[in-house]
Amino acid sequence: MNIIKNTNFDFIGKRKIAYVFSLVVIVVGIISFGIRGKANFGVDFVGGDMLNIEFTEGVDASEIRAIIKDLNIGYYSVQVLGVENKEFIIKSGPETQDKIINAFSDKYGSDRFTVKAKSMVSPSMSASLRKKALLAFITGMIGILLYLTIRFEFRFAVGATVAIFHDILFVVSILVLTKQQIDASVIAALLTVAGYSVNDTVVIYDRIRENIRKHRGDDYSVIFNKSVNETLSRTLLTGLTTIFVVICLFLFGGEALHVFSFCLLIGFVIGTYSSIFVAISLLIDWHRIQPHKFNV
Amino acid sequence: MRKQYYSKLLVIIGLILLSIYQIYPLKDKIKLGLDLQGGMHVVLEVEETGVEEKNLSDMTERALEIIRNRIDALGVTEPVIQKEGTNKIIVDLPGVGDPDKAIELIGQTALLEFKLVSDDSELLQKALAGEVPEGYQLLYNKEKDDRGILRDTQPLLVKSEPELTGRYIEDAYVGYDNSGFPDVTLKLNKEGAKIFEQVTAQNVNKRLAIVLDGVVKSAPVIRERIGGGSAQITGRFSIEEARNLAIVLRAGALPAKVNIVYKEVVGPTLGKSNITQGFKASIYGGIAVVLFIVIYYGAFGLLADFAAALNILILIAVMVTIKGVLTLPGIAGIALTCGMAVDANVLIFERMREEIRAGKSPKASIDSAYHRAWTAIIDSNITTLITGVILFLLGEGAVKGFGLTLSIGIVANLFTAVFVTKTIVDWVMLTRKIEKLRV
Repeated sequence: MNIIKNTNFDFIGKRKIAYVFSLVVIVVGIISFGIRGKANFGVDFVGGDMLNIEFTEGVDASEIRAIIKDLNIGYYSVQVLGVENKEFIIKSGPETQDKIINAFSDKYGSDRFTVKAKSMVSPSMSASLRKKALLAFITGMIGILLYLTIRFEFRFAVGATVAIFHDILFVVSILVLTKQQIDASVIAALLTVAGYSVNDTVVIYDRIRENIRKHRGDDYSVIFNKSVNETLSRTLLTGLTTIFVVICLFLFGGEALHVFSFCLLIGFVIGTYSSIFVAISLLIDWHRIQPHKFNV
Repeated sequence: MRKQYYSKLLVIIGLILLSIYQIYPLKDKIKLGLDLQGGMHVVLEVEETGVEEKNLSDMTERALEIIRNRIDALGVTEPVIQKEGTNKIIVDLPGVGDPDKAIELIGQTALLEFKLVSDDSELLQKALAGEVPEGYQLLYNKEKDDRGILRDTQPLLVKSEPELTGRYIEDAYVGYDNSGFPDVTLKLNKEGAKIFEQVTAQNVNKRLAIVLDGVVKSAPVIRERIGGGSAQITGRFSIEEARNLAIVLRAGALPAKVNIVYKEVVGPTLGKSNITQGFKASIYGGIAVVLFIVIYYGAFGLLADFAAALNILILIAVMVTIKGVLTLPGIAGIALTCGMAVDANVLIFERMREEIRAGKSPKASIDSAYHRAWTAIIDSNITTLITGVILFLLGEGAVKGFGLTLSIGIVANLFTAVFVTKTIVDWVMLTRKIEKLRV
């Protein structure tokens, strides 16, 4: 079987449309992020209590909210899991969890629900988790930048790094717009997206490296387009197989993997797109502004 | 030529057998994270205020010893209690049914007491039969059995009223006695020294039990009256035992407060549903990939699937060997590694198709495809490996678990996707005459 044979699409020529698309999503995302503030983050990163509770029968979410509101414990959020209205995730300020559980016991009786999971993160711990996640990300970026500078050249490394930033901003924007929260598992997912994105970029870079050596003197946009087309069948095939896996994780992986696999799903599609429309397109535009002979 | 392939094939078969041996039976061999089996994960922090920077690490060690003492008393199987950084303590308790009790226990302040041991064996017998004399209590020395659960050993009848408590202790450290055995030196403050001198003077040749939170840690015999506030505790200690005793003694003098900064409790039912859902999802994903690749590449697709399966086998075997903990994000990491494994083969096969189109012979196409795909494979895998390793090193909890399986998986991938498949392809080319390559 063979889906794609000898294509010759002009990807580079379409890059301006892609720039507009990416910018719109990311700018809208950043603005919404700013408006939403603290609610963007899960308890891992801002501190607080998280309660996963399951009732024996369906309960109205508004009733749950009303009970918690009456406690006057400040910030809280109630999220319904599944369609039966039995299972909820309740996030609230530090050390408020026991009050909520007690209030449920009073109202429904303690045998009518089970606490499936609960967690508490202190503000100091969440600050250290935040710092660690940021440190891991920056260190990772520097590592990738160094490696690609050695294996290709500085401009290629910058292109790949910008593509990673683009992908992460894009996924975060989608998360914000779909009202999801950023927690430790999202950070893991974002770093995976970064890894996938750079993996995809490197495969095309590898072909560009080969073609630059083979066709010295050709116009770069011709070489780049040729390289993208030559690797297109691999790009689609790998993209499809990994996306298969992620869709399975998303559909059958349960609540614990839901946001995680959602990030991967968006990230893998965008990571493939950004190899062409960010990493490589950027090299072309950089070359237009500041001509440069790629020495790879 | 043939001999070379034989030895390569032998290496591969040997590795498969070794991996299977390592992971069989999987249920007993692989360590599951709390998210998969239920339990409690707590991070404690020693309060930094009023503690000098250089003492913080020692303070944390003492606090850890106190907590270990209490957790052991709970009888949890395979608890993990470890120090992180200078002032954090991580406590993982798998399958704890009553997390609130455990947390309450951990949060208490330590109580170190010195209690006189009664040497009257008749009284001890009576106490063991249930008649504990007035003013006395029955305490035990505890030892871990082979499952790591504390069992009571050696009962001791001690006076209820302590002679001395931890607040009189200034310091305790390991030294060596005249015959070269490790011993523990105990330093008391001024007030403590006075009391200690009195107690020792009146009770020469009796035993004084060192009791931490109700558990007898040691019960040395008082050899003579000890003045000056400095006492040596000797015995045939190993270095480790002496060190632990010193920590116990110092624990009694712990002035720092310990706070819970992170707490995560996963009920056993949620753990079970996480594991079944995670596995189910991964298996569906795996089947989808296997079928797709076989349909797309035929026999070569089968080879890629074999390489991916081998990758998982090696990955799990390494996890078992290094006693890595498998978490839910870890399972996702495995699924992702499979994607990377397939990608490496896709790169090779697509290259092969190109070479065949360019009119090369089957053998030349194969060699050239592997050769030319190699740079793309190594560069893409190493960049991903960089992220994986950093996640493992700098991440915490779930993030760490993901980084671990991803990193192991990628290293295994470079072996299975390139070395293993190439060896098998070469072997087939050598034993059969293939005129036309179908990828």
